[in-house]
Amino acid sequence: MRLLSLDRRIIYILVLLAVGVPLLFRVPLPVKVGVETRKVHSAIDNIPHGSYVMLSFDIEASSLPEVKPLAEATVRHCFQRDLRIIGLALFSEGAAIGYNLLVQVADEMGKVYGSDYIYLGFRPQYVSAILGMGESIEDVFPLDYLNNDWREYPGYASLGNYDDVALVISIADGSLPTYWVEYAGSRYNQKIAACLTAAMTTSYYPYTVSGQLVGMVSGLKGAAEYETMLGYSGGGHRGMLSQSSGHALIILLVIVANVAELRKRK
Amino acid sequence: MMTTRKISFVICFAAGIFGLVQYFSPHPAISSVYRSLLDWVQIIFAFALLVGALSVLRMHAGKVMKRDRHWVYSAVAVASLIAMTAAGFAGGADRGSLFAWLFDNVQVPMQSTVFALLAFFVASAAYRGFRMRNLEAGILLVTALLIMLARIPIGELATDWLPRSADWVLNVPSMSAKRALLIGIGLGSVTTALRVILGIERSAIGG
Repeated sequence: MRLLSLDRRIIYILVLLAVGVPLLFRVPLPVKVGVETRKVHSAIDNIPHGSYVMLSFDIEASSLPEVKPLAEATVRHCFQRDLRIIGLALFSEGAAIGYNLLVQVADEMGKVYGSDYIYLGFRPQYVSAILGMGESIEDVFPLDYLNNDWREYPGYASLGNYDDVALVISIADGSLPTYWVEYAGSRYNQKIAACLTAAMTTSYYPYTVSGQLVGMVSGLKGAAEYETMLGYSGGGHRGMLSQSSGHALIILLVIVANVAELRKRK
Repeated sequence: MMTTRKISFVICFAAGIFGLVQYFSPHPAISSVYRSLLDWVQIIFAFALLVGALSVLRMHAGKVMKRDRHWVYSAVAVASLIAMTAAGFAGGADRGSLFAWLFDNVQVPMQSTVFALLAFFVASAAYRGFRMRNLEAGILLVTALLIMLARIPIGELATDWLPRSADWVLNVPSMSAKRALLIGIGLGSVTTALRVILGIERSAIGG
């Protein structure tokens, strides 16, 4: 059977076409908003204006194309609600990514560094950093990412520890939300939400059902759902056609391979 | 005379027991020591990062000096490490700095490219490996196809049944397996922590 020994280069070309070509077209696909995305949206919606929200960029550069639309939508929502963002990173690569993203969205929305958002940068050893911020954020981050004393900024002088933070959102491509739940959630009763790569989604269902995570937004699909709720079309929507055709191709390949296998057995 | 290993054990035991006790005590003195310990952990880890970076530098520099096989890759690694460090110290990491430019235009595209290659390998591996050879493989295959289809807009639009079935798979069988794993991992972690604190498990301190 020729089909069973299909040259892998043909599969590679098919994947390239299925994922790449749809990116050239802007075909808006209708997106149904899932329960988990709604939970995160309403958690942010219910926070009073002016409250502190902590965004932790627990990501590496490799997952940026998938995570960026998610993070962008979340940041936009926080700024729309006039929440004061505290940005930080518990992975070194997340430091520059988070800062760029925050500044980019803040500039678009006319938000000011120091009164609407600050960026604390990276701290190594995430367990002690998470626990330490429960005692005092200043102890863990005496200076911000730009080496300034963030306590001097007018919007952040009263920030002490998790007691002052309404919600922590871990934007992650790995297991960091687990540590946020185990250390900030269990010990300090901190509310936590997660924005995750699609591959991590199944790992966090137990935490959302138990209420340890208030909700999660996952993958490009989650980003598209969040964008739908905010009423704009961004990177999530742009990627939906590409992701749909990519999934469809894999499904088709698996079916073809199994049909070929069955025919061979007969 | 106490050996280094004994000293390490005593420190490990004291820190472990303190970690347990402080969780249950709101006393200010304990809280103060706890905060100092958290600072120490961060300082020690920062030094560990430095040692790690120096170790990488030494290993690759050695390969370059000896002209080992693939020494060119080591030269690139050493040059990149030095360039990023120098750029960070010289101009900071703010937008518009050389460090930010290198990060945005070199590191991010390179890492994203390597990660994106997974899509090609996954498709090829799915074609070759995802075969319905027995009942278990059949269940795995059907479930995977169901989840893939339900997680794209086309699947959701086709029928309500697809996303509901996918949610059931994720919320019932998948979650029960995941919870069992989490509980197992939790119990394992407690056991290992106790073994380390009580000195039964000494590999971490060179036992």
